Amino acid sequence: MADHTSELRRLLWVAALKKDEMLSLAENAVRLALAKGAAEAETYVYEGQSTSIGVERGQITKSSRIIDRGLGIRVAVNKAIGFAYTNVLEKQAAVEETILKALGAARASKPDPDWQRLPERKPYASVENTFDQKIQELHSEDLVNLTSTMLDAAAKVDKRVLPIEGGAGAGSLATAIANSNGVSGFDKGTMIECSLATVAKDGNKVTPVCFEFNAARNYAVDPEWVGKEASRLALSALKTKRIETKTTKLILTQFALQELLYFTLINAVKADNVQRDQSPFKGKIGEKVASDNLTIYDDGLYAGGLRTSTFDGEGAPKQKTLVVEKGVLRNFLYDNYAARKEGVESTGNASRAGYLSTPNIEATNFHLMPGNKAADQLMAEVDDGLIIYFLQGAHSSNPVSGEFSVVATPAWKVKKGEIVHCSRGVMLAGNIFEVLKNVSVVANNERQMGQLVSPWILVENVRVIGK
Amino acid sequence: LKDILTKTINEATKLGAEYAEARAETLFKTMLTLKEGRVEAAKQGTEEGVALRVLAGGAWGFASIGSLNAEILTNAVSEACKMAKAASLQLKNPIKLAKYRAVEDKVRIKPRKNPSEVSMEDKIKTASAINKNTLSYDKRVKSCTIDYLDLTGTSTFTNSEGTFIEQDKLYVWSRITASAVQKGVFTFSREEIGSTAGYELFDTETPEALGEKLAKRATEQLSAKTPKGGSFPVVLGPNVVGVFVHEAFGHLAEADLALSGGVLANNLGKKIASDLVTFYDDGTIDGAFGSFKYDDEGVRTQKTLLIKDGVVAGLMHNLETAQKFNAEPTGNARAEDFRVEPIIRMRNTFMAPRDRSFEELIEDVQFGYYFKSFRGGQANVDGTFQVGIQEGYEIINGEVGDPVRDASISGNTLETLLKVDGVGKDFELEAGRCGKGQTAFVCDGGPHIRVKEVTVGGSA
Repeated sequence: MADHTSELRRLLWVAALKKDEMLSLAENAVRLALAKGAAEAETYVYEGQSTSIGVERGQITKSSRIIDRGLGIRVAVNKAIGFAYTNVLEKQAAVEETILKALGAARASKPDPDWQRLPERKPYASVENTFDQKIQELHSEDLVNLTSTMLDAAAKVDKRVLPIEGGAGAGSLATAIANSNGVSGFDKGTMIECSLATVAKDGNKVTPVCFEFNAARNYAVDPEWVGKEASRLALSALKTKRIETKTTKLILTQFALQELLYFTLINAVKADNVQRDQSPFKGKIGEKVASDNLTIYDDGLYAGGLRTSTFDGEGAPKQKTLVVEKGVLRNFLYDNYAARKEGVESTGNASRAGYLSTPNIEATNFHLMPGNKAADQLMAEVDDGLIIYFLQGAHSSNPVSGEFSVVATPAWKVKKGEIVHCSRGVMLAGNIFEVLKNVSVVANNERQMGQLVSPWILVENVRVIGK
Repeated sequence: LKDILTKTINEATKLGAEYAEARAETLFKTMLTLKEGRVEAAKQGTEEGVALRVLAGGAWGFASIGSLNAEILTNAVSEACKMAKAASLQLKNPIKLAKYRAVEDKVRIKPRKNPSEVSMEDKIKTASAINKNTLSYDKRVKSCTIDYLDLTGTSTFTNSEGTFIEQDKLYVWSRITASAVQKGVFTFSREEIGSTAGYELFDTETPEALGEKLAKRATEQLSAKTPKGGSFPVVLGPNVVGVFVHEAFGHLAEADLALSGGVLANNLGKKIASDLVTFYDDGTIDGAFGSFKYDDEGVRTQKTLLIKDGVVAGLMHNLETAQKFNAEPTGNARAEDFRVEPIIRMRNTFMAPRDRSFEELIEDVQFGYYFKSFRGGQANVDGTFQVGIQEGYEIINGEVGDPVRDASISGNTLETLLKVDGVGKDFELEAGRCGKGQTAFVCDGGPHIRVKEVTVGGSA
């Protein structure tokens, strides 16, 4: 019965918007904007609800619930674009004022000769495993239990490990979009995650922060594994030894790959960057840009993917786009604007930060296709090298040229296929596009981290600067 | 609004909360993105909402909702109490808070140029001028992206200790990036400016000066070489010193991170740095991007001494960590907006200047690097830091030589602080944004300094 009353209270607190309510909010705002003088109009309605449990220094210390909803209106007037948003949805006056602000912004702005029009209505593909009713019905008590399981598993590994922060969260989000070209869409999804950041302490020795997590669209997380792995990683970072400066083999885990690729390769395949001379891939479609071992899709429909949905941030259908095929560059990623500029179709890569922003080109599920070697077989290929999890400073890479100079926090030394010790302050330097040409083996242990869905990869000839 | 918030707080107390606070915010934003002068979209936003935080059974409950409706807030605060109690079930060390006096105040900002009174046309004109000055400097400059934001609004804070504060918010910020291309070499240059004073920011940071600085850096790097990897003496400019103070040291001096295994917790009162090193985190500097009068727990901001002549003098606290360390709260609890809870954040963090001229700092360096401007930095609680460099030069026989590109420095913070052997008499403070799950507006800075030896990462 306790559960029942809390469910009631939650409904009282603020009821979730229904599909019809969201769609009619969007469609009405579009109509009104046209009536007030917009040549074109688009409304994006967003509602997110999340519950989370927080861990600090080994214990659960907080719980929070956030409800955030609002709408963003984009209008075109004489090829000039204006945008306004509000989170005040109860009052019609606030919505009308937002429309006027969008129009005012457009009128104050400069016409863009490259602007053609908003996306047209197209059929959406169906997606799998993106919504789980069970997640929507979770209570903070359930997440407390999940978090406790994770903490207990971490504590069992070794007393020297301190879980410094982490927790569990569950949320649902719904989006509706409508525009004056007849686009009308509604999508909803759920997500659950648990994560733990740990350090190990032995006397005066403190390891760098190690981290593990699970995140999924349906109720499929393993808190016990997360706790155990986060502890095991920290513990294995206690034994340190210096390494020398040299050129060596690296195993890049998903953590490292995500950091390195986000600021470099992913930027290089965004069509707007290509059009603006900000990508080294300009004019290189059909050319070899990476090792034969690499095939990459951007797959907005990837089953259960963290970035999977039926339509993108401006209502274009999401799709699966071949980006790199056996090392050969095949396609760039487009939103509506960049696509129309070149006379091609959007690839469904317009992304939005909820109702607060206009669309930007972003990868969806950036899927580096797995090879056929298991992780331990990949390790066995390494006579002498390093395995890299966490990196610091990837965001200071040269986003245009791909040059990076980062520090591994820490790096683990691999000898004859086994991890022998860890090493602190190791710097890795090079150019990510050269690194991609030197991928010799791709494993089959794929998982998703942010946008990236990838296995581990083995890279030859990376410059490593020891301390 | 005061009545509604007070009623909400009282409801929490009635439900057994040891402490409760409500923070209502109304925010207005104007944003622009220009790419090569094209206005991608002119944007305006309105947000309102309330953050409710309660301490019950020694654990925190937090609720955020975009509504100022009394009934919704009452329901939300009781949910927060219930969640706090659920979280507290297995608590070994219940959270306690330091006592702080009740404050009643209204803080009004009177800018010379209020951004909310500057027309969208004028803002677009300023941004277009920056773009023009950047792109017309040299034809090898290929792209220029300008992001602009201004934020105005009010935060109304009340808590169960009797504090009631109404505080205006005002921020003006811009980030400009440019890239240059020549024979397959790509370079990149970035500037960030920000102020809590008003739109007059652009009177000092003029479009002409900004454009030239960006374009000059991007084109100069085209002919730069990559640095040698290894250990070298370096001279760091105020901009790099600032990011070092912030990233490498500042985060370690945030009491929550210090407690989480950070290296500073056991070093209070101990000498950890060269005698030349004095660091402050100061929320009181007029108009600086990290300044404000009261933090988001209702604590008055202050100038906090972190290191004095090489000795750790203090940490940055909120009410919770102040209690744990038996220290005074320092006014460092900040929340990005009503969607998030306040956490310990820096304000304007800097190294105090000493007496050396730039020439004195470089004159006895046989071979080393002068790193003038950073591209990004990051640190770990174990004290490992990394700072990427967007503008750097060789130092050869005591003189600044050829430019180097895409360098970075890395090391252990405490070891590096001991190797500071020269501190300049100049001083600059620069605006930035800091990410710690939420974004905070801050400044970092200092004088030029010399470090005997630091690891330089390069591809050579």
